[in-house]
Amino acid sequence: MKISLRKAVRDLARQRTQVTAVGLTVLLGVLMFVAAGGAFRNLSTSYEGTYHRLGFADLLAVGTDPQALADAATSTGAATTRIRTQVEQPMTLSGTRLLGRLIGMPPAGHPAVDDVEVTEGQYLSPDDPDGVLLEKHAAATFGLAPGDTLQVATADGWHTVTVRGVVVSPEYLWPARSRQEVLGDPHSFAVVFASQDQVQAWSGQAPNQALVLLGGASQADVTGALRAAGASDVQTWSDNPSDAALTLDLNGFDTMSKAFPLMFLTAAGVAAYVLLTRRVLSERPTIGTLMAAGARRGRVVWHYVLQGLLIGTTAAVLGTAIGAPLTVLITRVYTTELGIPDTVVTAHPDLTVIGIALGVLVGALGAAVPAVLAARTVPAEAMRNQATLPAPGRWSGVVSRLHRLPVTTRMALRDVVRNPRRTFATMLGSVLGLVLVLASVGMMTSMIAALDTQYGTVQREDASVVVEPGAQDQVAQQVSGLDGVATVESALASQVTVGFDGSTYATSLQGISPDTSMHGFISGGHTIALPSDGVLAGAGLADQLGVAAGDTVTVTDASGRTTDVRLAGLVDEPLGTLLYGTPATVQTLVADPTPVLLVRFDSGLTTAARDGLRGEVTGLDHVLAYTDTRALLTVVDSYLGLFWAFFGVIVALGGVLALAVIQVTMSVNLVERTTELATLRAAGVTVRKAAGVLATENLVAIVAGLPIGLVAGVLAAQGTLGLFGTDMFHLRLSLGWWVLALSALGVVVAAGLSQVPAARAIRRMDVARVVRERVT
Amino acid sequence: MGTTVNGRHGSTTGKETAGGGAGRRPGEHAAPRGGARLTGVRKTYGAGDTEVHALDGVDLELAPGSFTVVLGPSGSGKTTLLNVIGGIEQATAGSIEVAGQEISGRSPVDLAGFRRDHVGFVFQFFNLVPTLTARENVEIIVELTGVGDARRVPDLLAEVGLADRADHFPAQLSGGQQQRVAIARALATDPDLLLADEPTGALDLTTGRQILGALLELHRAGRTVVVVTHNASVAQIADTVVTVVDGKVQSVERNAEPAAAEAVSW
Ligand SMILES: Nc1ncnc2c1ncn2[C@@H]1O[C@H](COP(=O)(O)OP(=O)(O)OP(=O)(O)O)[C@@H](O)[C@H]1O
Ligand SMILES: [Mg+2]
Repeated sequence: MKISLRKAVRDLARQRTQVTAVGLTVLLGVLMFVAAGGAFRNLSTSYEGTYHRLGFADLLAVGTDPQALADAATSTGAATTRIRTQVEQPMTLSGTRLLGRLIGMPPAGHPAVDDVEVTEGQYLSPDDPDGVLLEKHAAATFGLAPGDTLQVATADGWHTVTVRGVVVSPEYLWPARSRQEVLGDPHSFAVVFASQDQVQAWSGQAPNQALVLLGGASQADVTGALRAAGASDVQTWSDNPSDAALTLDLNGFDTMSKAFPLMFLTAAGVAAYVLLTRRVLSERPTIGTLMAAGARRGRVVWHYVLQGLLIGTTAAVLGTAIGAPLTVLITRVYTTELGIPDTVVTAHPDLTVIGIALGVLVGALGAAVPAVLAARTVPAEAMRNQATLPAPGRWSGVVSRLHRLPVTTRMALRDVVRNPRRTFATMLGSVLGLVLVLASVGMMTSMIAALDTQYGTVQREDASVVVEPGAQDQVAQQVSGLDGVATVESALASQVTVGFDGSTYATSLQGISPDTSMHGFISGGHTIALPSDGVLAGAGLADQLGVAAGDTVTVTDASGRTTDVRLAGLVDEPLGTLLYGTPATVQTLVADPTPVLLVRFDSGLTTAARDGLRGEVTGLDHVLAYTDTRALLTVVDSYLGLFWAFFGVIVALGGVLALAVIQVTMSVNLVERTTELATLRAAGVTVRKAAGVLATENLVAIVAGLPIGLVAGVLAAQGTLGLFGTDMFHLRLSLGWWVLALSALGVVVAAGLSQVPAARAIRRMDVARVVRERVT
Repeated sequence: MGTTVNGRHGSTTGKETAGGGAGRRPGEHAAPRGGARLTGVRKTYGAGDTEVHALDGVDLELAPGSFTVVLGPSGSGKTTLLNVIGGIEQATAGSIEVAGQEISGRSPVDLAGFRRDHVGFVFQFFNLVPTLTARENVEIIVELTGVGDARRVPDLLAEVGLADRADHFPAQLSGGQQQRVAIARALATDPDLLLADEPTGALDLTTGRQILGALLELHRAGRTVVVVTHNASVAQIADTVVTVVDGKVQSVERNAEPAAAEAVSW
């Protein structure tokens, strides 16, 4: 046992480079499994920790009589309920006017449902009715702290309130107004919590939401009771835009913790298989001798399996050792970056165990086939000293007819087919490398293409301005007179709930002029016109409600009034799932739609000029709020460096993946052909030409793998995008030819790099010694 | 050791005996090429306790156009001698002049060039590329060295009697046929010297005779041929017989009347 272990270690040390390549691939696979898997769990636990501590409502019901909804929930067994007013209200924070969100809270003490955590200052007090709580993202965006003031629009004009505390809310861990605006202008949204009585007084809005903690009650039962009691919409955690955004992100980790390890461990397994099979073939005479001397089959199998296990286990242990602290780091960076108050970092012994088990498994599986091959060695056959040449197949004959090709190319073409094991492994290297690169990069390029479509074709306004009812024409005139403004168009907007066949979906209804120049309606790749009757909806609505064009849906406005309307068509829009109609249609569906101006600037405006315009517009009378529609683009632009860095890392990882496998097949190829190469060298062939003979064969296999890899990569990219497709994002795969070309080039370059050690090995080859030995 | 003969004593034998042997008509001989002169050549492997003197002061002259057989017991240094003459191994000391060129102390790149232009090797185990046909096994040398002429390859195969097997793969050829392909391959660059290490070692008698016959043919074209073998009987066909023992040249004998390949037996 001890001797066999020592021999195994010595054998592995002799093939250090290849063993390292296999080991590194296992290590990376296990590392990603542990790090991404652990981060996924830690983040899930962290989010849920905050949710539970702050009593994030299991259900949020919207309706005109929330007390009746709360009662219905309680009588169905729900543990805790609360009613409140939530209203979109113009506000001014640090001089910026925007449409903020006012939310009612009990001033006397923390509520049990949808509580907030005060990170600075104090909670509300009945003695300080004008003291409010500001959600922390807005506080950060506008640089406000306890003691600072802000203005809230009321029926009697602007009312100044004081920030009593800065808070974290489970509903706004990721600050999003709605599922239509998950990514938006941070300067256009703020959440302010105030005493329920004050919210009602300022906005004139009676309570309109019931919040429910289920306790032990069944979600389906309570939801049914809420709907029966008149709820126009019932939202769960996953309907909450903040939770939905975080979940998408978590899914990314989850996918990564499975897909990446799968690819890396597959590559490692195949590389180990190739490596050990070659070894078994070359050690056959020894194995035969040992078996002739009575060695047991089990021992022979064990000897080779042991080598696979040594590589797999060592690499996996290292992988988990590096992965564990990396998990902690990722979790902390994330929770800090997102401002999640609870950072739960726990050890995941099961992930460690599974990670190591994966490494062990990959090592064992990679070694199993060669080990069995070794044990099947018939002693006599192995010891017979006659090298048996395999007979040429039909393919060899076919290649013979290609007289024009150089002999080295003909040789490569035949070798590729004669040694399918090696060819398959080499191809797999380039295929996996391409899949990794294309799936990850496809995600990014598709995202960028989606933004291009969103802001180039669909949503062409630079800003949208909310104005007081009745002041639309007057403000429109003033705005179009400003320097830098090209076009102004009137529009309407309103939060509504769309219903069909028992399901509901909360979204924004936009009233847009039929001859608009601000919005492109795209359906099936064509631009369509806004119908004069009926509404258009984002294609995501079909998944949400199971509707199709031509169906009749219900639209419920904020006052609870419900109207039937025909769904005239579905449009393809990358961001959000909205409803569109002409202003006249919107007037029939919604009681008091918000007047909005869509503004387009002169092209080529600097950021400073845009910010200047924001100031000028919000300074006008009757302007209530301002949203820079393209703020997201600015944010994305600022991350472009990061994009390229990520691109680089992924390409490097893909390169490592391809290289690890190709390196092994290349060196095995080298070993198998030592005699041929030495013979060529003896005839005076240069090192470079001899290395070229090897490279040609590898290149043929790699080039053969490219189309498969490109197709598989595109499919993988499509699949990955599918995982992230929701009503919030509809990404279409966009992979420019340059991405495909660069990825393919990357694989070829990786293959080229694997030439370097091969050429060095050929240079160091002891020609004299090789030609003294007989061919095996 | 007593009968050690300085190589120089036999130095002129090559030319003198060239026209000699039975069945060889003087008129057939082309201008002699190649030749080699070794002076004080040593080859030492390893160092310290494991030091092996594979060649221990060899002085030897092989005339251009001579046919030399090197005999000696196993481990005596025959292969090493052949390798240093052919420039696939560097001597530790001494001077080696082959085909009029001093090759000791040259860089590996230089030596590759030297081999390309002057030497052809034939090995005991043929070392053919299994995925290439007979013709391709020869062509690839022309292709990769840039020396020789691919159009001459069919002639080379004809010279070794394989005109009708040109498109066969090694697996479809007998051992003797494979060795003849190896000889044609060694001739692809039209070398001045043909160095064969146990070319008949893996073959039966009849096939072995064919190979030796083919080598004699090549010698007749003026090339210097050196054949290393265990088999004393092969010595009959040579004009020069070198015996190596313990890394030293024990004797160099001239053979006034070289026999035909058919005379050999084992
Ligand atoms: N690379 C090497 N390292 C160490 N010793 C070597 C090496 N190559 C050859 N030798 C030693 O040099 C000596 C001469 O070897 P060589 O192969 O020239 O003998 P040979 O006469 O060809 O033997 P054989 O008839 O068995 O082929 C031997 O003792 C051998 O062990
Ligand atoms: Mg030898």
